[in-house]
Amino acid sequence: MEVAVLVKQVPDTESLLQLAGDGVSIKTDAIKWVMNPYDEFAVEEALRIREAHGGTVTILSVGSKKTVKTVQTALAMGADRAVLIDDPLAEGGDALATAKILSAALKDIPYDLIIAGQRAVDDDNYQVGSAVAELLGIPQISQVIEENILDGKIKCKKVLEGLTEVVEAALPLLFTTQRGLNEPRYVKLPEIMKAKKKPLDVKTLADIGVEPGTVGAASNRVKITAMKLPPERDAVKMIDGDSVQAKAASLVKILHEEAKIL
Amino acid sequence: MNESREEMEFDVLFVGGGPANLASAIHLVNLAGKKGKEIEVCLIEKGDTIGSHSLSGAILDPLALKELIPNYLEKGCPVEETECKDEFYFLTRKKNITVPFTPKYMHNHGCFIISLSKFTRWLGELAEELGINIFPGFPGTKVLYDSGKSRILGVRTGDKGVDKNGNKKPNYEPGIDLLARATVFGEGPKGSLIRDIGQKMGIFSGKMPQVFETAIKEVIELPETSAFLSSDTTVVHTFGYPLGLDTKGGGFIYKMKDNMISIGLVVGLDYEDPLLEPYNAFIQFKRHPFIAEIIEGGKVLQQGAKTLSAGGYYTMPQLAVDGALFVGDSASMLNIQRLKGVHTAMKSGMLAAEAIITALEQNDFTQKTLQVYESDVKKSWINDELYEARNFSQALSKKGALKLIHLGAQYITGGRGIKDPLSIEADSSTLKKLAKKKAPEGSEPSAQDFDGKLYVDKLTGVFLSGTQHEEDQPCHIIVNDMDICVTKCFELYRNPCTRFCPGDVYEIEGEDSGKIRLKLNPSNCLHCKTCEIKDPFNNITWTCPEGGGPNYSIV
Repeated sequence: MEVAVLVKQVPDTESLLQLAGDGVSIKTDAIKWVMNPYDEFAVEEALRIREAHGGTVTILSVGSKKTVKTVQTALAMGADRAVLIDDPLAEGGDALATAKILSAALKDIPYDLIIAGQRAVDDDNYQVGSAVAELLGIPQISQVIEENILDGKIKCKKVLEGLTEVVEAALPLLFTTQRGLNEPRYVKLPEIMKAKKKPLDVKTLADIGVEPGTVGAASNRVKITAMKLPPERDAVKMIDGDSVQAKAASLVKILHEEAKIL
Repeated sequence: MNESREEMEFDVLFVGGGPANLASAIHLVNLAGKKGKEIEVCLIEKGDTIGSHSLSGAILDPLALKELIPNYLEKGCPVEETECKDEFYFLTRKKNITVPFTPKYMHNHGCFIISLSKFTRWLGELAEELGINIFPGFPGTKVLYDSGKSRILGVRTGDKGVDKNGNKKPNYEPGIDLLARATVFGEGPKGSLIRDIGQKMGIFSGKMPQVFETAIKEVIELPETSAFLSSDTTVVHTFGYPLGLDTKGGGFIYKMKDNMISIGLVVGLDYEDPLLEPYNAFIQFKRHPFIAEIIEGGKVLQQGAKTLSAGGYYTMPQLAVDGALFVGDSASMLNIQRLKGVHTAMKSGMLAAEAIITALEQNDFTQKTLQVYESDVKKSWINDELYEARNFSQALSKKGALKLIHLGAQYITGGRGIKDPLSIEADSSTLKKLAKKKAPEGSEPSAQDFDGKLYVDKLTGVFLSGTQHEEDQPCHIIVNDMDICVTKCFELYRNPCTRFCPGDVYEIEGEDSGKIRLKLNPSNCLHCKTCEIKDPFNNITWTCPEGGGPNYSIV
């Protein structure tokens, strides 16, 4: 079973977020970069599939020099090889542009199955996985919490509002992950050292046959026009009172008169 | 758990990714390269990234940095402000008085302002480029000794994936044994491994007790229109309010890049009043009219807290044993007189690296060879600085006029003063019994004192430190006897842990009902170690959690 996993490097959600001067991006100098948590589920599931069915796990990512760290984390978890598309001309592209690059790179990577995170926690687009499947002309199943591969077919479980759905399709196929799929393994220290010696191909757009103008910022059909931080949280207001009743009464009063929600 | 553990062998193992160990590792690899030696070097760090647990003022004296990386500016050293223009004030409750005489050690000419977390991250990148194996997110939790406990063999990393009851989770991953010919401990102040080494190998015996101060600091973004930003002043130091003259410590404001300032309050942990709450004192400091005016309109971007080792010269442990060396704050290298420890930490690490090179050449890692490090420290400018400051912390601990007399006498006698050495009392034994049941009026901020933006409460501060821990893991803070908390400690001191902890890890529940109990919130822990240092019953043992902790990036 040949499994390809799409991985993105994103800012850690605990990072200090500050808007950059252009008003449409964030400052990146104080950011801690990590693997997108949904992609961690994807890598873990790929490793479990390899453990059960044999084969290889290939990591594919689009990024820059710093993305090597995240790719190496996936290799240290146990993936066999990795491909990183690093090209300044790919920068600033939207979800569709990223999907174009990934699907072009996948033409040179053998796969029976592609696993992607349901979304990247930085831009929350939920689009890249689906677009890659569409561009490759293969079926896709989104937000999977359990999978089972048998006789060239995959059965996936998804949780919907109030019920569980089981979907089946023939391989090759792409599925995206949902929380609950697995508990990703810890990276072992010796594996981090071994990961540095695993094959990592860094490729440009030209290497994978993508015309520069068709991807990157120039190709974007959607444009970010503004970015704002969430509203500042007001300080907590403690309600004084001699009794529970008195406190409740002043709470109602505040909700009615100050918050104006009653 | 008696399972067999994976082992990895290195030539040199560094425990802790702060400036001391990073400078040491870089120097070591550079020296080995010059001698044509190939060595395998490993550095582990409990923080999730290098620099994420580093916090300091910080004014850097570039003395050691220039020796280590002469072209540090070209190499991208993150400097916030190149010129230190100092002002020094005494604060009364409402006023600020310029101190007419600034002692020479308070001059910062030639120094510059840095963010220690940025600086450390930068050193980490340089070290990695040199081929040093750097492993953030791997705390060392056990020192490995030979059977006779006379030689250090290395360190075991912590187990991961253990639940809060001590059971293995499905993703359980046992720690591994990292073995090295020499292990360098640079754990920062009050390391949890050096504590064990102290007990087993007696490296602290015959020394005065290591003492500490706790610093709470923030990085605040000021509006562009701020008068302070357009002024020439880049460094402000204060003493007096809110700590008064009898409690050690003081405040600072340093200018940074991009309209940011670094602001903090340092509190000596030999304070006596069990009701003192360093965090509240920090808020009082910020609310002082002089300070409030400087920071007006600002917004707190990041907050954090850390202890610093203040004892200096007479509290330095034995610096080398068979198979190991001790550097930086772990070894009391900070110069409290100059409020600086990054330069001495780095230098100590570099001298340790030179001793390791000698040991490699002689193929002998016993104390006999490694102690050249100790004698090199004694011959270096670290010793000159620390020797002059040898009685300084003790003088600051004196009350009233006695303090000034000691300080003055030391100033004119090169540190000898009236009595040399002046003795040091452990921080855990200085609390006085509770005199009043409540803190004095005005020292406890009310909800109105917090606006959630420029003045934030403790828990918002924890949030702004980026602290996170896996919730389902054994509690990493060990309270050895829970009975003491609800009996003696409550009666004598009203549980000072609930106040000295800057992260609200400790809570006393049920005070209204009369049946009190101590509740721990270890997930809030900022890894500052104040609790282990200040607890009056020495009842708290701090151990490394499986990972996590603060996520400092600009403090």
